Amino acid sequence: MNAIEVRDLRRVFRATIGTIRRRTKEVVGVDGISFDVREGELFGLLGPNGAGKTTTVKMLTTLLIPTAGSATILGHDIVRDAEAIRPQIGFIFGGERGLYWRLSAKDNLRYFADLYHVDPEVARRRIRELLELVGLAGREDEKVEGYSRGMRQRLHVARCLLHDPQVLFLDEPTMGLDPVGARELRQVVKNLVSQEKTVFLTTHYMFEADALCQRVAVINHGRIVALDTPEGLKRHVEDLSVIEVEVFGIAPTMVDSLRQLADVDTVSVEDRDQKQALRVHSHLGSAIVPQIMQRLDGDGVRVGRVTVREPTLEDAYVRLVGGEA
Amino acid sequence: MIANLRVVRTTFELDVKQQAVDLFMIFGVLIQPLLIAIMAIYMLSERDASRGIYVVVGSGMTGLWTSLLFRGTFNINAERFMGTLEGIVASPSSLATVVMGKTLASVTMSLLSMIFSYGLASLIFRFPLSVAQPVPFCLSLLITVLAFISFGLLISPLMAVNLSLSGWVNALEYPMYILGGFLFPILLLPGWSNPLSYVLAPYWAARVLHATSSGGATLADILLSWAMMLILGCIYVGASYRLFKIVLRRARVDATLSLM
Repeated sequence: MNAIEVRDLRRVFRATIGTIRRRTKEVVGVDGISFDVREGELFGLLGPNGAGKTTTVKMLTTLLIPTAGSATILGHDIVRDAEAIRPQIGFIFGGERGLYWRLSAKDNLRYFADLYHVDPEVARRRIRELLELVGLAGREDEKVEGYSRGMRQRLHVARCLLHDPQVLFLDEPTMGLDPVGARELRQVVKNLVSQEKTVFLTTHYMFEADALCQRVAVINHGRIVALDTPEGLKRHVEDLSVIEVEVFGIAPTMVDSLRQLADVDTVSVEDRDQKQALRVHSHLGSAIVPQIMQRLDGDGVRVGRVTVREPTLEDAYVRLVGGEA
Repeated sequence: MIANLRVVRTTFELDVKQQAVDLFMIFGVLIQPLLIAIMAIYMLSERDASRGIYVVVGSGMTGLWTSLLFRGTFNINAERFMGTLEGIVASPSSLATVVMGKTLASVTMSLLSMIFSYGLASLIFRFPLSVAQPVPFCLSLLITVLAFISFGLLISPLMAVNLSLSGWVNALEYPMYILGGFLFPILLLPGWSNPLSYVLAPYWAARVLHATSSGGATLADILLSWAMMLILGCIYVGASYRLFKIVLRRARVDATLSLM
């Protein structure tokens, strides 16, 4: 049985602009997406910033009403049956907000347990267990304002598990965490699946999706551009090679100029201190290097090291989102 | 029902904890009524020292109203800014239950104003203070708490449904002191303003608290004030129920539950 079913879900935001002559501007957040998530599955929604991940999660957690389309959680409609869905789901939105900073971790958990109508006796036991699970045991009486970002994020995990929900929505849960904190949190997420929870995870880290998810949907500009297992997604770039060129001060117009080359599939640029890593996907392999060098030389771009390598999962993602990652 | 009462209790308890370290609330509940009480005491000292209880009740009412107005206005918006509003809305508890707990906390904190003013007047200024009709006064205080909670339930969604209204919160503070008859009787106001006072539960609260504390309140007067507070309280609760539904629906449509 499917825990989540999404059909042609669409969300348009309206914003008013102008002071005297006020006009309404429409922005499409999610543009007709469809997918299913099986019970007990860890499903990933991967996409760059602004792709529509958070909007999708907010609609599925009943916090936002879709403009069109439909979705069900455990068979309940997200608009009509919101009250039936809420006790069965838990969610975390990335970032540090969503907690009472002037209260202790224990008070925060006690409050949310009451909001979810958890029996006080059960809540006491769950709070103790969850504090152990997220590694905050012994720090529960401290005010949240004194917590590090990682501790707050782990407290969010405990909060979202208090009422033992069947379906969990984790929206970029490792955002802003240091590598150790992020790895610990990923382990917590893995453990949830072993407890037969359904987990809907959004991230813009390909490796995170690869390490955790059974299936991944890639979203870009509000549309799902691919939905497959991580292995299946890698096959999207089997025919390509990746040419990485170290450049110094390349302008966006020059990147566009490279995109015009006939045998180039996608081009992306990553800033690395004072230099940039230019990544070109092409089915020609090393044979395209002279063309790239000629174009860069013509544009007067200073070039460093050049390497040609096999594509990774991250390259598959970059290709799917058209170099916007 | 028990689960909802638990939500009210926990919200109340944790909100009091948070308010106790909120400097703005400390000012509104303790310092401002103190300043108003000092001003009123000096105004009355040349005239009638026996009116000390009137000052105590009046300045206490100002603290009650200030706390209710500001907390009521920012109850929902503060949750939005903290990012906790989504957590509340997505829970099985109703937002109204949470606001009720918060309003109860505000009213309780503000009753401290009255105790504080009482202590100030009797100890420092050595004014003779005695409540003339203590039993009706205490019962009136209890009904006042209920009426103020119902008024708080109305203010919170009203301010959330129209964010621009919250910009007027300061302008709403003093008119209630005047229309509510907190510091002087509304009979001193022009006649056309009296109907405005009659639809405000705080006016009936001030009227019965002043009358029972200063003495001379008839049973008919007391019952009329109680009845008006209860009737208006029911009307406020009914209106707030509709407003909460509108607020939550609009927030889900307009994406205003969080600062996305």
